[in-house]
Amino acid sequence: MNIHSPTNRNVQVLGIDAGGTMTDTFFVDSDGDFVVGKAQSTPQNEALGLIASSEDGLGNWGLSLDAALKQLQTGVYSGTAMLNRVVQRKGLKCGLIVNRGLEDFHRMGRAIQAYLGYAYEDRIHLNTHRYDPPLVPRNLTRGVVERIDMSGTVVIPLREDSVREAARELIAADVEGIVISLLHSYKNPAHERRVRDIVTEEIGRSGKTIPVFASADYYPVRKETHRTNTTILEGYAAEPSRQTLKKISDAFKDRGTKFDFRVMATHGGTISWKAKELARTIVSGPIGGVIGAKYLGEVLGYNNIACSDIGGTSFDVALITQGELTIKNDPDMARLVLSLPLVAMDSVGAGAGSFIRLDPYTKAIKLGPDSAGYRVGVCWKESGIETVTVSDCHMVLGYLNPDNFLGGAVKLDRQRSVDAIKTQLADPLGLSVEDAAAGVIELLDSDLRDYLRSMISGKGYSPQSFVCFSYGGAGPVHTYGYTEGLGFEDVIVPAWAAGFSAFGCAAADFEYRYDKSLDINLAPDAPADQREAAAKTLQAAWEELTHNVLEEFKLNGYAPEQVTLQPGYRMQYRGQLNDLEIESPLPNASTAEDWEQLVDAFNTTYGRVYAASARSPELGYSVTGAIMRGAVPIPKPKIPKEPLEGETPPEEAKIGTRKFYRKKRWVDAQLYRMEALRPGNRVVGPAIIESDATTFVVPDGFETFLDGHRLFHLKEV
Amino acid sequence: MAYTRAKIADLIDGTVDHDTLHQMLSTPKDPERFATYIEILQERVPWSDRIVLPLGPKLYIVQQKVSKKWTVRCQCGHDFCDWRDNWKLHAHIHVRDTAEELEELYPRLMAPTSSWQVLREYYCAECGTLHDVEAPTPWYPVIRDFEPDIDTFYKDWLGLPVPERADAA
Repeated sequence: MNIHSPTNRNVQVLGIDAGGTMTDTFFVDSDGDFVVGKAQSTPQNEALGLIASSEDGLGNWGLSLDAALKQLQTGVYSGTAMLNRVVQRKGLKCGLIVNRGLEDFHRMGRAIQAYLGYAYEDRIHLNTHRYDPPLVPRNLTRGVVERIDMSGTVVIPLREDSVREAARELIAADVEGIVISLLHSYKNPAHERRVRDIVTEEIGRSGKTIPVFASADYYPVRKETHRTNTTILEGYAAEPSRQTLKKISDAFKDRGTKFDFRVMATHGGTISWKAKELARTIVSGPIGGVIGAKYLGEVLGYNNIACSDIGGTSFDVALITQGELTIKNDPDMARLVLSLPLVAMDSVGAGAGSFIRLDPYTKAIKLGPDSAGYRVGVCWKESGIETVTVSDCHMVLGYLNPDNFLGGAVKLDRQRSVDAIKTQLADPLGLSVEDAAAGVIELLDSDLRDYLRSMISGKGYSPQSFVCFSYGGAGPVHTYGYTEGLGFEDVIVPAWAAGFSAFGCAAADFEYRYDKSLDINLAPDAPADQREAAAKTLQAAWEELTHNVLEEFKLNGYAPEQVTLQPGYRMQYRGQLNDLEIESPLPNASTAEDWEQLVDAFNTTYGRVYAASARSPELGYSVTGAIMRGAVPIPKPKIPKEPLEGETPPEEAKIGTRKFYRKKRWVDAQLYRMEALRPGNRVVGPAIIESDATTFVVPDGFETFLDGHRLFHLKEV
Repeated sequence: MAYTRAKIADLIDGTVDHDTLHQMLSTPKDPERFATYIEILQERVPWSDRIVLPLGPKLYIVQQKVSKKWTVRCQCGHDFCDWRDNWKLHAHIHVRDTAEELEELYPRLMAPTSSWQVLREYYCAECGTLHDVEAPTPWYPVIRDFEPDIDTFYKDWLGLPVPERADAA
């Protein structure tokens, strides 16, 4: 929290969330106090926004950037640069080696890629479907002669001449990376590794330096398009990001930091920018919030958490059940299907910057799906935006303070919003400006509420057993709206909501994770020798993955004995379609008895996730994948704990009143300064709690209580 | 949201970038779109009779200036027939129903078997523009693409008066 206290503080952790709209920084000191810095993102040179955001945050502590950076122990970065590079197809020129005869499969892609990321109306509207240009064009794709079948048996031996020819042609074409992805190489990597070695040899002979990426070394998992896309991303997008991250890391080192930046990865851990598998940092910002919520939940004892995040462009929801995240194994990003473990999250394209338009025929209000992003809305004159956004409605209704957006860094003009809403919405609808704006907000709130409800009930839970965390720059403005009537056990808004993703990044483990596909199938009455063989197959995969994990840590100077390893596996009842990810109760497996323990762990989890009566051990068991996670200890932010004071907020917290419109009437909302509220204070609506980086709206009918951890609890009264 | 005349012209030419095109496709049409669209088409044809409805890239239903009769007309000015007739029956038709003719277009073994499927090409008798291609089974009658309800379209959808028609039913 932005508490002003005497200087000699020791700043320890820095979390960075370089989003499309805002760059947030989150500094934590040795006492667990923290400040949030915000600045607009600077996509052209990320370091600029980062430095500005850091200065903004540290300014609250009266610290200079240089002084604070010297004390820092660790820093975690998350951002959208890599994703943008892929979306805009501005990656490196890569060559691709596949099976001869299959040279077109990457270019053709999976049919779903033609409409991934589209709104429902556009998915069913065939005219909008489109195949993006492939990451590697056809003329840089070469086929080599070999075939391994799905059981890993060699059907056609590798014709090495065809490899040399392919390698020489690609090298001559001046590619900046060569990616190898052969059929079923996850099952038997021998040919792919041989191809890799030959290509490396040929590169050596040419005197050039070109990195080589074999899918079996990176993502040995089934599904060709997924595996190939992901491996290409390593060469195409991750290598340039590595350079960017190195620059940011170096820029901070020049200013006195002594550590290497880590990056938030899709599996929910942080990895070094030196990591081999860097493509998995392609999305990281929204994950930070989920990790932060999980960490808070662990410390404060919340098992079931619904994480909700509203930023400028989207509303993201993730569920933590029994303290566990859900990991999705074949997510899609940037309209590509990928093989990456990703913290499961659902998004709708509705945020504070979403454009609002009227359907000229039906006069229905349409939200998004496009948004003004960091350009806020019509209320910001310099933005050049002409279409009304959700933020403009907030402006009209008194939710936002025009003079204190980003602490006054951006001056907004309420009258511009009023005029735009009048001509674009209110007049065509025959409504007053405030009723039109309130209608938009009600529509957005009910959309988000329905979405949140369906997500929770769709997974077989009820909101009553969940605590809802609300964060993101615009989250607390809407918290009351999208939680009203859902009956959550508790609704929590962290006082540092705006920097929550950055906080989550700082709270994440330094953890590498490697995955490998397996096909173990055992009948329910399988004899002991088969069970033993199954255990040994799994163990062999774990050992291969352990090697990869330890290699990654070695790059960062960690010895194997410093790394805590956690094996895992994906198991399902034979013949079922969905598997579950299980943390192994054993550090290694080699006997039939070990196998039984793995099966027991699966049955227990299955009963918890679904229902005990749904367990089907009579079908036998399949293991579809092996997982190895390794972590080393790093400093994490402490959650503050302050003694409770009285219920009445101090007079100095009150900073006036503002006209606030809701449910067809104007009221005078009491304004509070968030930083001046004390633990134990109770605020009854209508009230608006303002801070530089976020605004927490407590309308009439609601009250909020600030606890000793600087968490606001919102309640309907 | 209204688009500029230049943007609509780009739309007709197919030169709009994909993101903009996607937005134009998935947001409601601007009310003046049809009028602008027709205006641009009208400028590009070599005759001055009024276009009532475009039927294809170079095919229109037009209102003849003097007689106010509606006909189906090619870009070149050739009138196929009355607007209620199937213009294809008045076109020059080329049927590709042998392997040899189909292989002028497709590589061997990648064309349909002509006893199962043929290609029928419909050309303007005057300028030779290919207006449409059908790929039916050999015996299938000439397809009538669609019979537009122009009166409803103008009156109820566009809110415009229906252009005068000599033989209005």
